[in-house]
Amino acid sequence: MTLLQRLAGSARREPRGTLRVVDPNPLNWLYITYNTVEEPVRVTRRGKVRPAAMSSYRWRGSRTMEIRVRPGGRFADGTSLDACSVHRSFTEQTRWHSPHPPGTHFNIDPRTRAEVVDERTVRLHLPEPDGLVLGKLRATHVMSERFWRDLGFGYARDETGEGHW
Amino acid sequence: MIDAPGPWASGPFTLVEGRSIISTEPVVTDGEDRTWLQTEDRSPTVRLRANPHYWDRVRGPRVREVEFRNDVDRRRALDLVCDTVGEVDIVTEVPHREAERVRRSRHARLVAVDSVRALAGAIDRGVDGLPLDDVRARRALNLAVDRSALVRDLFGGHARPLAGLTPPTPLTALHRAPGRLRPYPYDPSRAARLWQAAGGGSRPLRLAAMTDWEAVAHAVAAQWHTVLGLAVEVRILRSDEEQREARRRQAAKEPRDWDVLLLEQGSQSADVPPLELHRAFVGRSGEFRAGPVDPKFERLFDHLRSRRSQLWQVLAANRLDRYVTDQALALFLVAPRVLYAVNERVDFQPYATTFELADTSVRRGHWSLR
Repeated sequence: MTLLQRLAGSARREPRGTLRVVDPNPLNWLYITYNTVEEPVRVTRRGKVRPAAMSSYRWRGSRTMEIRVRPGGRFADGTSLDACSVHRSFTEQTRWHSPHPPGTHFNIDPRTRAEVVDERTVRLHLPEPDGLVLGKLRATHVMSERFWRDLGFGYARDETGEGHW
Repeated sequence: MIDAPGPWASGPFTLVEGRSIISTEPVVTDGEDRTWLQTEDRSPTVRLRANPHYWDRVRGPRVREVEFRNDVDRRRALDLVCDTVGEVDIVTEVPHREAERVRRSRHARLVAVDSVRALAGAIDRGVDGLPLDDVRARRALNLAVDRSALVRDLFGGHARPLAGLTPPTPLTALHRAPGRLRPYPYDPSRAARLWQAAGGGSRPLRLAAMTDWEAVAHAVAAQWHTVLGLAVEVRILRSDEEQREARRRQAAKEPRDWDVLLLEQGSQSADVPPLELHRAFVGRSGEFRAGPVDPKFERLFDHLRSRRSQLWQVLAANRLDRYVTDQALALFLVAPRVLYAVNERVDFQPYATTFELADTSVRRGHWSLR
């Protein structure tokens, strides 16, 4: 790998080595999720919300957020991550009254309608303005079809997603 | 949470062994709003492996495998990271009293991060026998605390005085700038005057704290006693069941056996801290709110929610913070820095709000590369 390739970010340096970690934080379950799962947004090292599974977003009027999904996205099983994946995650989340363990304050209004516009575009039509929705997307975990079929967030074990996202 | 290993997602790592999950119990905080009490269930080992499909090639992952060791308690883990090589590379949440030990250790170094966390007190504004529904009394409690002494004596300098409920980090500087939001100063004479003007107390104040903040609770109690002449009964919630019961009663707004409860609460981002901090301590659905709903706070929070531009959100958050501070709707203490003990051959890249390892790498000479 040349220095130029590395600077351009076009070549991946092979992961190497093993880390052994002891994490007494009671939020370890969440950190395991954040290390293995992507959401439309993530939070940078300094704490800033930034696009992750989505490449960009924009507000179309005061109540519609348009999300552009990152092109060429893939899950670890090799299947595609596209607008339908984001739509499915949003839809699965709204099946439950209180899916997120911290509480209902992470809920996006359940009256919100998600629309797949094309392979890379999803629109969230909110019933009323909610400027906090971008941060709340951090709790919308984008998962593969196989996950929803075989495991789900507590579905296989408890047959519910309440409090298990 | 992820119940079982599998290639379920697109993050930098894949869970290949074990589980780290919680069982949850719902508590109604207000109307349709809920929070969940959590009980951990971890396998002895949780193993993550680098996901070769992860798109962000600059970020990582930079290590091939991460092994979370849940078979080692925190004390033993510190021994291992400080004194051995190959057993433990990173220990999170190092107690502040252990910072010096890590710094002087043979194999580990101390990494400190300005996290978005606040150590604050929920004040029960509805108790009998104490004037905590009076803003003068709540201001007196805040003015009687010497935050600089707490930072120096109990945190070894690894904390910053809290102004309002927004932890001071580089990204929250703008949140605190308008109106020059500053911590309550340590002002014993003004504190005593306000406490007397509010009527003082007819009984001791009951101060409760989780085990981790025992020393802070005793220090605050001593300062209140000295400055306000107030008798303070300190109660430390030591067992998991005690802590759980206190959280349950607090979240459900049931009768409590404390007047002030010290808690540490974090925010998952620095963009809009009020969603997880101010709302939790003061808001209608707040799991830590102890006292009546504050209509003005609710209006200010609704205003924040209605803002879509980040600049307007910052300004709205600042108005909220100034109101919470002016009304002394919590006991504002410090923003503790989060400490990590890290093996000297690990290039650890900490996060201010979470624990993620995508950007962390190992250096030449690390035990796993030999």
